[in-house]
Amino acid sequence: MMKGIFAILLLGLLSCQSPTRQKLTVAVAANMQYTIKELIAEFNKTDKTEIEVITGASGNLTHQIMGGAPFDIFISADRKYPQELADKGFTAEAPKVYAQGQLVLWSARPGIEPKSDLQLLLSDSIKRIAIAIPETAPYGHAAVSLLEKYGLYDKVQSKLVKGESITQTSQFIAMQNADIGFTAKAIVVSGEMEGKGKWADLNANDYPAIEQSAVLLKHAQQGNETEARKFYDFLYSAEAKAIYQKSGYLVK
Amino acid sequence: MIELAPLWLTLKLALSTTLILFVVAIPLATWFSGKKTALKVIIESIVTLPLVLPPTVIGFYLLLAFSPANAFGKWLEQWTDIRLVFSFGGLLIASVVYSLPFMVHPVRSGLSSLQPSLKEASYSLGKTKWQTLLKVLLPNIKPSLLTGLVLTFAHTVGEFGVVLMIGGNMPGKTRTASIAIYDEVQAFHYREANVYALILLVLSFIILLIMYSFNGKMKQVKFY
Repeated sequence: MMKGIFAILLLGLLSCQSPTRQKLTVAVAANMQYTIKELIAEFNKTDKTEIEVITGASGNLTHQIMGGAPFDIFISADRKYPQELADKGFTAEAPKVYAQGQLVLWSARPGIEPKSDLQLLLSDSIKRIAIAIPETAPYGHAAVSLLEKYGLYDKVQSKLVKGESITQTSQFIAMQNADIGFTAKAIVVSGEMEGKGKWADLNANDYPAIEQSAVLLKHAQQGNETEARKFYDFLYSAEAKAIYQKSGYLVK
Repeated sequence: MIELAPLWLTLKLALSTTLILFVVAIPLATWFSGKKTALKVIIESIVTLPLVLPPTVIGFYLLLAFSPANAFGKWLEQWTDIRLVFSFGGLLIASVVYSLPFMVHPVRSGLSSLQPSLKEASYSLGKTKWQTLLKVLLPNIKPSLLTGLVLTFAHTVGEFGVVLMIGGNMPGKTRTASIAIYDEVQAFHYREANVYALILLVLSFIILLIMYSFNGKMKQVKFY
């Protein structure tokens, strides 16, 4: 009896490993969580390679990669983290910018109408303003720069609540726990957030460019290199650029 | 940059939680230690829930409850102008809920371990229930009370998941030491993270050291 159970367990364990099947693992910044699905769907039209997506804050994913996480490609929300990985020898080559992120002001509370001049933030009816944590999230850093440029940062500082990633920040806004907040355009234009409140575009010249970069990782060289490079190159193709544009990013 | 604010906040939160729970837990534990009834079993199971649930479950429901988009949050904001999410008050409520079993269980098991004759003797000498509890029962379960206090305090210091979900990282209000450590690690500031972490480590060790040296009878105190 015990032997039988043991044999079944062993069989199950062995069947988990199938080294013949190609599968890519891509680490993706939280703001790209919806866009990446479309990218993969487009890629899979011509290439059936299975692509597994791990989403998280760029800083978090960077730590995981440094800790030896088996990711083939890292799609970050900025330049800093991929560059950091390149400097420390975790990448196959230098990172490249694939799209530029856009910051928006968003509110899900009825009766609040976000406007790009941000004066609304000073109003007493706005008690909590959500931003992503500026130390690690590129969109949070951009939001703080924008507030400083408009001379509002000191005045609204006590109202700021910080999400640990752009996803949590968006959740604070969407659940109305924050009255208003700064998030990625890619999140508010995604199908899942459609019709949830109102948002306003912000002047891209007033905050540092959010240059979203991707990089091919060293791990890809352990078997998946051809496929990984194919998907990596696809990220810079005309088809991919059309998707970025549609999803709320700027492309050059 | 090392700031003292997250450490003070953690201490303030842990002390307030411990104080509130001490007052709340003793009547609850006394009630639980009596005869079993259906209602008691149900309430006791609810009180124990935070012990088995992931902090994210509590965080999620508190987020929902506190949101002005939902009935309770709306009512609170309209009538009291209080919004609990992203505030110290909200954090305190979460901690009280989250650490409840850590105070109730040791006290309850201490009370249950006492001989019934102790209580009966007190009653037959004309003492009321209240006097019996304060002057006879509680002094006899000092190790259990100390265990409850220490565990609650330590558990609140160690709280992370719930704070991350409902705190919003506000300096001096909701940015506790455990959140500060997480932030510093994320930002690659390992030195700062290390200082905070080391302070918590030493603090926790000292607390446990004090508890074990004062509590010679620790072996007899069962958690459940």
